[in-house]
Amino acid sequence: MLGWDEWKKSFDVWENATARHLEQWLKSPLLLGPAGVMMTAAMKAKAKVDDVKSKVASGLGLPTRRDQERTLHLLNQMQSRVMDLEEKLEDLEADKSRGDRPWT
Amino acid sequence: MIGRLMNLAGLLTRRKPAVGATPADVVHAENKWKLLRFRPRAAGLAHATPILLVPSLINRWYVLDLMPGKSFVEFLVSRGHDVYVIDHGTPGDEDRYLGFDDIVDGYLGRALRVAAKTSTGDPRAKVHVLGYCMGGTMAAIHAAAHPERFASLVAVAAPIRFDSGGDDGLLAAWSRSPTVELDAVVAGVGNMPWELMQSTFLLLRPTMQLSKAVHLMDRAGKAWDDEFLDGFLALETWGNDNVSFPGAAWRRYIRELYREDRLFRGTFALNGRPAQLSSIVAPTLAVTFEHDAIVPKAMASVLVEQVGATDKEHVHLPGGHVGAMVSRSASRGLWPKIAEFWEQRPGGVRRERETEVVRRAVPSAAARESGSRARKKR
Repeated sequence: MLGWDEWKKSFDVWENATARHLEQWLKSPLLLGPAGVMMTAAMKAKAKVDDVKSKVASGLGLPTRRDQERTLHLLNQMQSRVMDLEEKLEDLEADKSRGDRPWT
Repeated sequence: MIGRLMNLAGLLTRRKPAVGATPADVVHAENKWKLLRFRPRAAGLAHATPILLVPSLINRWYVLDLMPGKSFVEFLVSRGHDVYVIDHGTPGDEDRYLGFDDIVDGYLGRALRVAAKTSTGDPRAKVHVLGYCMGGTMAAIHAAAHPERFASLVAVAAPIRFDSGGDDGLLAAWSRSPTVELDAVVAGVGNMPWELMQSTFLLLRPTMQLSKAVHLMDRAGKAWDDEFLDGFLALETWGNDNVSFPGAAWRRYIRELYREDRLFRGTFALNGRPAQLSSIVAPTLAVTFEHDAIVPKAMASVLVEQVGATDKEHVHLPGGHVGAMVSRSASRGLWPKIAEFWEQRPGGVRRERETEVVRRAVPSAAARESGSRARKKR
């Protein structure tokens, strides 16, 4: 279909030129500076709201979301530490059976 | 035109192809991540050194095993390699506290030891490591801190020098924007949400989605075959299946790598241990792609200049960040190149008895657990 092929060629030229132009614009400090400020402000506002919610929950004697996240994270860390110890124990057992090191 | 539209409408009801279909067993599980070992080919393993694939932390691992015929993993298994891959999993809210050291030193180190032990019986045996994209950065950092564990390092489209002084691409420009306060972002969202990261990737070429639609329309009137459609849908499935970045790890990644370029400058440390690229002495291969908008050549090719290895190589190929790794042409060019790199190195010697390891039972995560319970009883 000739009409489609010609249109497609024009589209490709337009798309390339537009993408190049947009890339320059998206890299511009004039855009990045204010966008970063807005993002940071939005994040600070969200953190503040979360903080207020936590204080309300704490005031009622309830565990906060952060408390639960910290506890779960510590449990995960403990799981990793147990695995570290298992590995060390296996290494020591292997060394002992090979007689590589004196077993004390 | 009606034919094109009918073909496009058919896409809506077309069944999605199976992704990540090469048979594998979970040999280790910890927090959200798993280590998968692909079942060796029926003829048995042909190579002595196992291979560990490290995908990016923010994309699913199955880009390396996209679909039958377009799978790097399937290709390696068919050549008799013992292949492992890290599935980073999906971080939970509590993983906002998970640090870069936990992942790159702790988890990656464990993956290397489990792969070595499962394959050879010795957790201290060396392993070939391939990192793709950010996985390559992670692998290079681990290799710099623990060079003794690596039989070789292959970094595919992996950012190493984050500030080349020239054009490092949009992603680098955004990450270095000083008005974004990293602590405020992590305090606000915890983990860096995948939706935000995906929007960022789409903005790398804002006309991409439109261009893709027109390309699809064009294709709908020409070569509209099953192979193309399955490949397209598999890649779209993967592209829309992203993972959030654990908050503390994201903050350090952006601050110390994108903003301070510590890996390249030799001032990065992993759990207090210096991670200097000059410490890497294992054979090293860096792969870059001509049209890679995410990791330009200058960011990735410096690996071979920085490592201390004398056996090192840089390969620059046509294609984009993802397409060049999963396309049909990759199976004829890039994949054999990587496999030959391993097979020609000392660790790539053939096994004397090809089926030796296949007969040995694969220790599963459940077996590890039962072993741990048995020890506790003693």
